[in-house]
Order: sequence, then structure tokens, then C-alpha cells
Amino acid sequence: MERWALVSGLGGDLEVYEQIQRELKTKRGLDRLFVLGDLIGPKHNNDALLKRLQQPQRGDLPPECIYGWWEEQLLAERGYRGDRTAEALRINHGNDAVEALLASVDTGHMAWLASLQFGFIELDCALLHGSSADVGDELMPSSSPLILLDRLTRLDVNRLFTARSTQQFRLDLNGGAIDSHIKDLNGEHNQQQEVPKRSVIGIGSGEMFSLYAPGSDHIEFVKVGVKPVSRGLGFG
Amino acid sequence: MAHAVISCLHANLAAVEAVLADIDQQGINTITCLGDLVGYGPQPNEVVELMRQRAIPTCQGCWDEDIIDGLNACECSYPSQLAERRGHLAHQWTDAEMTAENKRFLASLPTSLRRDKLLFVHGSPNSQHEYLLPDMNAFAALERVETAGAETLFCGHTHQPYVRELRGGSIRVRVQHNDSSSSEEQDMTLPMRRIVNAGSVGEPRHGNTQATYVIHDEATNDLTIREVSYDVAKTCQAIIDAGLPEVFAWRLSHGFEYAERADDASHVCER
Repeated sequence: MERWALVSGLGGDLEVYEQIQRELKTKRGLDRLFVLGDLIGPKHNNDALLKRLQQPQRGDLPPECIYGWWEEQLLAERGYRGDRTAEALRINHGNDAVEALLASVDTGHMAWLASLQFGFIELDCALLHGSSADVGDELMPSSSPLILLDRLTRLDVNRLFTARSTQQFRLDLNGGAIDSHIKDLNGEHNQQQEVPKRSVIGIGSGEMFSLYAPGSDHIEFVKVGVKPVSRGLGFG
Repeated sequence: MAHAVISCLHANLAAVEAVLADIDQQGINTITCLGDLVGYGPQPNEVVELMRQRAIPTCQGCWDEDIIDGLNACECSYPSQLAERRGHLAHQWTDAEMTAENKRFLASLPTSLRRDKLLFVHGSPNSQHEYLLPDMNAFAALERVETAGAETLFCGHTHQPYVRELRGGSIRVRVQHNDSSSSEEQDMTLPMRRIVNAGSVGEPRHGNTQATYVIHDEATNDLTIREVSYDVAKTCQAIIDAGLPEVFAWRLSHGFEYAERADDASHVCER
């Protein structure tokens, strides 16, 4: 059965990435590794990790990467986003943070970073850093269900995997409906729409990552070095 | 107090004059315009000057934005290459025709206007280019109104007038956290909200040649879609005399826009 590993928020930390790769070797049946953005961050020099992601070592599960909020800031500041600059980073953390970010990534990596996509659509799943609205959109369990449903509807997917909030959670939309009364020049009519059974899944960040089996829709939240808690029924 | 909402004037002076006369005749003094003063039609300066003269509060529409910022929208603006070529011709003609002063006026327009719990936009609160069609997913439609902090959202852009009331909604969720083997259930009751599309004064696409707009009575909360006759032939002749694509006159005389409806109306422009 197909299984995916979903990782984000490495923040340039090669050691964490190596720990995750070691952990993945102990898991059965993993086919693919998706890295949902924030490969880079302000706390480390990012070059070693970026090199490893582009040139996996023998035995690594090859990473499939998208860009996240930190890559977006870097790409904007380096002129890859039209007129935009790293305004969000500058406003929240000051100009020194922008300078530190620029210094932490060798310009030789920019072409590869610029080639990364906003997200992946795999089967009926959207794999994104933030949401279908924005790379910086933080979806979490406390987000309005109306907003979560909107973000799913925009891509017409049943599962939306998000990383921006850094949290691990699964939120299932599993009931409800809404009535519409529409009046136009041809008359009036009513519609009822039910909430589709869809889910938003927070995959975690750094050493907290997730494993997902699209065939069974089973999610497992993992922390590097920690055995998962048994969640009841399963196969021995 | 009743107020009128008009949209998508599209440089059609005869239609604008007829609608304003209809509003005046009913003793309504408060009018809000949802943009697209120009584009497709033959009298962009005349229409802009009339709106300025009447001091009608106006939002910026997608055509108004394009005339100021240039055609830098993503592919969502036109549903086909043919429509795009015609649209570009109309854009170039309008751009050349408009005075600098009238362009400055278009540039000064806000993207939204708010009066208490009433919000006025051209397309949606997200974008002047987003279509809120009457059959749009009801939850997504409600999200547009609710996220914008409005109770009634007035929009245009589709050229199809309608009043949509979204009510009796609820969403049930089950949340599972990483640190818990159990899950919790929550119910959210959704508020009642309305979306009101004013249709189009200058280029109706509801299957009829009459100009449309809406009247909202704030005392009773009643909404009325009005249809107004105007001299369609006069505007059609002016389109041809101006050298604009003849198909603009043809579709105006039929009240619909042949093959020009966006395929993906839910797409949000990423310009």
C-alpha cells in the first residue's frame, strides 16, 4: 500500500533531515517523501541542507520539495517575485533578519529554489505549505471551518495537507449543510448543499512530521526518536 | 431609506442616463456604483464625467483597474483567445480615448466601499476579477461575505443580477491532535448572509437587452432587481462608428455575451 512521508520546517537543519531519513528507513512501505516548504530558515546556514536536498545520498528517500514562507521571502528579496520584496519578513523581524536570510543561502541555489512549485496535487490530496489561498496562510484546528472548507473547495480536493502552522492535527469536516435562496429575473428557487467529507491535516514541522497512506486514509504523526502511541485497532 | 446599486456601466451613456433617470424618478438619492465604468462601450469619457458630476461613490472595477495598471492580469480575464483579442482591442481603444483627468479619477477609486454591514465590491472581496456566480458553492460564497465582515455583499462583474440568501448553515468537525488518542467534535452554526449582484447597466448578459440595477430598502431589507429600457440601437451605432469590434454591438442587441463566460469562475486572479 502506498505511503507518503510529509515533512516541513527543516529550516536549514541538516541534522534533523538526516535523523528523519534514518527514521524513514525503519518505516515500511514508504514510497515518497514530500518536503512542504520552509527548507530554509534564519537559524542556520542553509547551504548544506539545500545541497543534500538537490543531491540525495545513496539510500535517501528522494525528496520532492515545494517552496514555503521562508523561500518566498528569499525569492522576493532576490527579485524573483516581480516588484515584491521580503516585506512580511521585514515588518515582522526587521531588516537585520532579511540580511541574515540573504547571507544564509548561497546564490548558487537560487535557480533551484525559484523552480520549486507552490504545491502538489496527488490523487485527491493537495500538498501545500500554507493553503490554496496563500503560502503564508496558517490553517490550524482553531481556524474557522468555513475558511477550511473554502481552502479545500478552491482546489476541489478531499484532503489538504498544510505545514505553515507547524502543528500536527487532523480536522475532518464530517457534517452540516446550508440553504440558499436565489432570486433573479427568472424567478426564485432554493438549493441545499451538504458539507462534503473532507479533511485538513497539519503535518508538523522540523522533527515532527507525518506519514500518510492515501489508500486507507490513515495518518500517523511522528516525532523523530519517539515511538508512536497506539491508536487502537490495527493489524499486528 | 432606499438606496440604489449600479454596476458595469461599460461606457454605455444611453444606458447610464436611462438608469439614473429611473432612480431619480423613484426619489432615491443614495446611489453606489460597483465599477467597470469603461470598457467595451463607445463613451468612456462621457460616462466617467457623468459619474463625477453626480458624485456617485464608486468602487474600481477590473476594466478600470486594467486601464490604469495595464493588462497584467493572469489568464483569467478572458475565457478564450478570441475573447482576449477583442478585449485587447477594446482596451487599446479605451486607453487611447480617455483623458488623463478621467484616468486619474479611475486610479483614485477604492476597491471596496463599506456602509455599516453593507460591503460594496466589483467582483468579490478577494479580487476585482473573481466571479461570484449565483450557483457558486454556497459555503465558499458565505466565506467571501463572512471573512469580509459584512452581512450583505453587493457585487457586479458577472452581468447577471441576483439576490442570494445563505441561511440555516452549519458545519460539524472532528479534530484529532498529535498528542491525544481521542478526538473532539465541534459544531459551528453559520450566520445568515446575503450576496446581491447588481447585474449590468451598460452590457446586460441576463438574456435581455434591458439595463439592470438593484434597489435595497434598508428599513424593510427588501431587495428589488430593476430592468430599464434604453436606446440600445443608439449605443450599437456608436460602437460601430467608433471602430470597436462589431460583436460588441451584436451581443448588446441580444443581451448576452456569446462564448465569453469564464470556464473557471472560481479562479482567483493572481496578478
